[in-house]
Amino acid sequence: MPAARDSLHGTLDALVLKTLSWGPRHGYAIANWIAETSGDAIRIEEGSLYPALYRLERQGLIIAEWGVSELGRKARFYRLTPAGRRQLRAEVEGFRRFVAAVSPILLTG
Amino acid sequence: MSADRRARQLDGAIWRAPTEREVDAELEFHVEMLTRELRAAGLSSEAAGAEVQRRFGDIAQASAAARRAATHRDRSMRLTEHLAALRSDVAHALRLLRRAPGFTIVAVLTLALGIGANSAIFSVVNGVVLKPLGYPEPDRLMFINSQFPTLGFDEFWVSPPEFFEYRERTQAFGEIGAYTTGAVNLMSDGAAPERVNAVALSASMFDVLGVRPMLGRPFTAAEDLPNAESVVVLGYDLWRRAFGGDPTVIGRRVQIQGHPETVVGVMPPGFDLHDAKAQLWRPLGLDPASRENRGSHFLNLVGRLASGASEASARTELRGLLSRWGEVAPGRHAPNDSTHRLQLEPLRDNVIGGVRTALWVLQGAVGLVLLIACANMANLLLARAETRHKEFAIRAALGAGRGHVLRQFLVEGIVLALLGAAVGLALAHWGLRALLALNPESVPRAADIGLDPLVLAFTAGIALLTGAMFGLAPLLHVRERTLSGALREGGTRSTGTAGRARLRNGLAVAEVALAVMLVVGAGLLLRSFWKLTRVDAGFDRSELVTFGLVLPDATYPEPQMRARMLGDLTTRLRQTPGVEEVAAMTGLPPAREVNANDTEFEGIEQQPGGPPQNVDYYQSTTEDYFRTMRIPIVRGRGFTATDVGGPPVVVINETLARTFYPDQDPVGRRLRPPFGDSIPWFTIVGVAADVKQGGVDAKTGTELYFLYDHGPRYVGFAPSELNIVLRSPRSLGALLPAVRQAVGELDRSLPLVQPRTMDEVFGDSLTRQRFLSQLLAIFAGVALLLAAVGTYGILGYMVNERRREIGIRMALGAGRGQVLRMVLRQGLAIAAAGIVLGLVAALALSRVASSLLYGVSPADPLTFVVVAAAIGVVALAACLLPARRATRVDPLVAMQVD
Repeated sequence: MPAARDSLHGTLDALVLKTLSWGPRHGYAIANWIAETSGDAIRIEEGSLYPALYRLERQGLIIAEWGVSELGRKARFYRLTPAGRRQLRAEVEGFRRFVAAVSPILLTG
Repeated sequence: MSADRRARQLDGAIWRAPTEREVDAELEFHVEMLTRELRAAGLSSEAAGAEVQRRFGDIAQASAAARRAATHRDRSMRLTEHLAALRSDVAHALRLLRRAPGFTIVAVLTLALGIGANSAIFSVVNGVVLKPLGYPEPDRLMFINSQFPTLGFDEFWVSPPEFFEYRERTQAFGEIGAYTTGAVNLMSDGAAPERVNAVALSASMFDVLGVRPMLGRPFTAAEDLPNAESVVVLGYDLWRRAFGGDPTVIGRRVQIQGHPETVVGVMPPGFDLHDAKAQLWRPLGLDPASRENRGSHFLNLVGRLASGASEASARTELRGLLSRWGEVAPGRHAPNDSTHRLQLEPLRDNVIGGVRTALWVLQGAVGLVLLIACANMANLLLARAETRHKEFAIRAALGAGRGHVLRQFLVEGIVLALLGAAVGLALAHWGLRALLALNPESVPRAADIGLDPLVLAFTAGIALLTGAMFGLAPLLHVRERTLSGALREGGTRSTGTAGRARLRNGLAVAEVALAVMLVVGAGLLLRSFWKLTRVDAGFDRSELVTFGLVLPDATYPEPQMRARMLGDLTTRLRQTPGVEEVAAMTGLPPAREVNANDTEFEGIEQQPGGPPQNVDYYQSTTEDYFRTMRIPIVRGRGFTATDVGGPPVVVINETLARTFYPDQDPVGRRLRPPFGDSIPWFTIVGVAADVKQGGVDAKTGTELYFLYDHGPRYVGFAPSELNIVLRSPRSLGALLPAVRQAVGELDRSLPLVQPRTMDEVFGDSLTRQRFLSQLLAIFAGVALLLAAVGTYGILGYMVNERRREIGIRMALGAGRGQVLRMVLRQGLAIAAAGIVLGLVAALALSRVASSLLYGVSPADPLTFVVVAAAIGVVALAACLLPARRATRVDPLVAMQVD
C-alpha cells in the first residue's frame, strides 16, 4: 500500500512528481498535463494545486525557479530533485503492489 | 544562494512580504493562462471570468491557503539552510582546530581552567547558598536562639523553660521544636564500639521539619519525657552501614552510651538538621512541667511558621512577648528586650552562616580568572586572525557577507569554549571531590554540592558567553575594507597595525591587573590565616597529644567510679614510656561547646544593669591540668595533689576575675554552682591566664575550673565525656599503641575518640579559613600563570612583527644590549601599568572582604608591596625570553622582503 498519508494528498503528490519526471513545468502546465493524460478523468482543483506544490518543495522533492513561459511571461518552473525521483519510484512501486494485491479480488469473477 | 532567493531579494518596492508577492504572481499567471484557454475555447470574457472563479473555488481563500503553505515552506527551508550552514561552520572550525594542535591544546586548557574553576565554585555556591533545604516548604522554618548583647554573645542557646514558654504562647508559629547536638558511643551487635554524631530533639521537631521516618515511626511525646522508655531513630547511612539495611531493625535494641535503646524508626537518606551530620535521633527527654533550670542554656529551637504568619509577623510577636515575659517568669533570667533577647532568622541563613561572604568572594575571584583566560584567548585569536586574513578576503569575494564572517567567528569561538567547558567540567568534578575530601568541615551542606542541572546550565551559559566574546574580538580588526585591501597587498600588513597593537597591549595590561588583584586577595587571606595559626590560645600546644573518652552510665553508674577510673588511667598513662605529663578535662580548647551555668558569687549582689551571675565555661579537670597544658597561673595557685581529698576549691580565669572582681583580690572569695541546695561554697584559690574556648578568633569568656574529683564528693555528679591530654616528645603514632593498651587494660569497651596532636586540633578549628585561603591561593597561582603566559605571548608576537625593524636597527649598529633593552622596556611598561592598575583595584575591593580577614587590614602595606615585587619579577621573567629571541635576529634574514 502507498505510505500511510491522506490518500488524497498521496495521490496528488505522486501525480505531480510523475508529471515532472517528464521535464520541468510550471503549475498550470502540470494541471493541464494531468488532465489531458488522464483523458479529463482527473482534474486537479486549482485551490489545492499550489499548496501541494509548496509542500513538495518544503519536503525537498521538487525545486522551483522563475523562468520565462512559452508566451514570454514570467512563470515559476518546478523540477524534480534526486530525492523526488526516489520518492516517485517508491510511490509507483507501492501503487503496483497495491494493484497486484487488489486485482485478483476485485477484478475477477 | 539559490537563484530564487536572489530573485526575491531583487524584487520591487511595494511592501508585501516577498513570499506573498511571489505567490500572488504565480497565481496571477495561472489565472491568466486559464482565462486565455477559456477564451480560445470560445467563452466571452465574463463567462471565462466566471468559470475561473468557479474553478478556483473562493479565490481569496485559495490564495490565502497558498500563501500560508508558501510561508511554511520558506520557514522550513530557511531553517534547514541555517542548520546546514551551522553544521558546515562547526565542521570547518573543528578542521581548523585539528590542523593547529598546539594552539588548540593551549586554548582548550586555558579555557578548561577558567570555565572549570567557575563551575566548581558555582556548584559550591549552588549547593550551599542557593539550593533550598531538604524539608517541605523550607522557607517557613525559622531558627530561634538567644542573644546576650551586654555580654557580647550574638548567638547563644535557649533554656528549657524558655522553650516551653515560647511554644505555649506563640501564635505565629504552628509548632516549635528544640534540639541539641552531640556524639554518643554506639555499640551494635558484634561490631566494635564507635562514636556517632547524634541529635537529641523534642518529639515536636518531626512535625516542625515535616519529614517522617521512611521506616517505622518517630518517637511520641510520651516517649520524650525524662523517665520514658528509651527509644531511638536511626539515620539512613548508619542503618545501611551498621545494620546492613535490614528492615527488621525496627524493634531491636542497640547499646547507646551503654544503655539498651529500642530502634523505632529509620530516617530517609539525606535527612539532617542544621548540618549536624547526625546519624542518631534521640528524644530530648525534657519535663514540660519543670521550669526551674532557667539558666541552663543548651537548646537550639526551630519553628515552622503557621499558615498566614510571616517572618515579619513572627518578629513582631516575639518583640511583644519579650516585653511581657516577666509576667510568666518573674525574677532573674526572664528574657527581655534588652539584655536577654530571643531572636529568629530563616533556618537556611543560620546554616549558611558567614560562609556566604567567603563564597561570593570565591565566585568573584574565579570570575576574574575566567576574564584573564578570555583575554588570553582573545589575544591568541587576534594573532591567528591575522594569518587568516587572506582566507577571509577570498570568502568575501565569493559572496560571504559580513554576517557570514561574523557567524563563522562566533561558531569558532563557541566551539572552542564548549570544548574547554567539557574538559573544565571534568576538572571541576574531580577537583571538587578531592577538595571536599581533604577539607570535609570547610563548608556547610557539603552533601548538597554536585554537578546538578543548574550548574550545567551555568557552565553552558558562560561557555557561550565567553566563546562569543573572544570569538568576536578579532572581528574588531577584520573589516570589509581590510578584506579588499588584504587581497591587494603583498605582505606589508600595515593596515590597522597600530590599532591592533594597542588592543593587544591593552588586553595584556588588563590581564596583569586582574592577576594582581587575585594575588593580593590570596596574600591577604594567607597572611590572615597565618596570623590565626599564631594566636596565643593561652596554653603551650607543642608536644601535646589528646583523645576523647566517654565513660557511659551503664558501666559507670556511680560518679565515684568515674573519678576512680580517671585516676587509674592518668596514673597508668603517666607510666607509659615517653609521657611526661597527663591530665584530663571536660572541654577541649581552642574551640569547645559553651557550658554555661548560673553561679552565685558570695557577697556580690546582682546589679540591674550588670553582668548576670553566669559563667560561660565550667571546666572540670584533674589536678595536673594547668601544668600539663602549661597554662600560667597569674595569681594564687593552681590545683595540687592535696586538693584531691581536700575542701572544695576552684580556679577562675582572668576574664572572670576582671568581670566580677574588678577592684579586689578574688583569692579567698567564695562562689557556688547551681546544682542544688546542698552544694557547698567553693573557695577561689587562684587565677589562671585566659585560654581560648570559643575558637581562635573569638573573645575569651568567663571560665571556672573545678577539680574532677570534687564532683562526686560535693556535687554528686561527674561528667562522662572527657578529653585526655598527654605531654610527650614522642609522635602520636608512636604513643598510640601504648595508650590504647593502657585504656584497654582498664576497660575494653572504651574507644579512643579522635586521637590527635594539639596542633591538629588547632588546625581543625581553622578548617574553613584554611580552605578559603588555599583555594584563593590556587586561583591566584593560575591567574598569575595565565597572565605570564599572556604577556610572554604578546611580547613574542611583537618581536616577530618588528623583526624587520629590529634587523635594520642592528644593521645600523645597534648592539644586542640595546635591542634587549628596547623589548624589555615595552614588556615592563605593560607590566608596570598592569601592576599599578591592579593594586588600585585591589585596594578598593579588599574592603568588601574585610570580614574574612583576621589581624590584617584590607590595605596591609606589606602584602601589597610584596605582591607588586613578586609580580614584577614574574613579568620580568616572562619578558626575558622574547627579548633574548629579539637579540638573536639575523639582520640579513630579517630585512628580506617576504
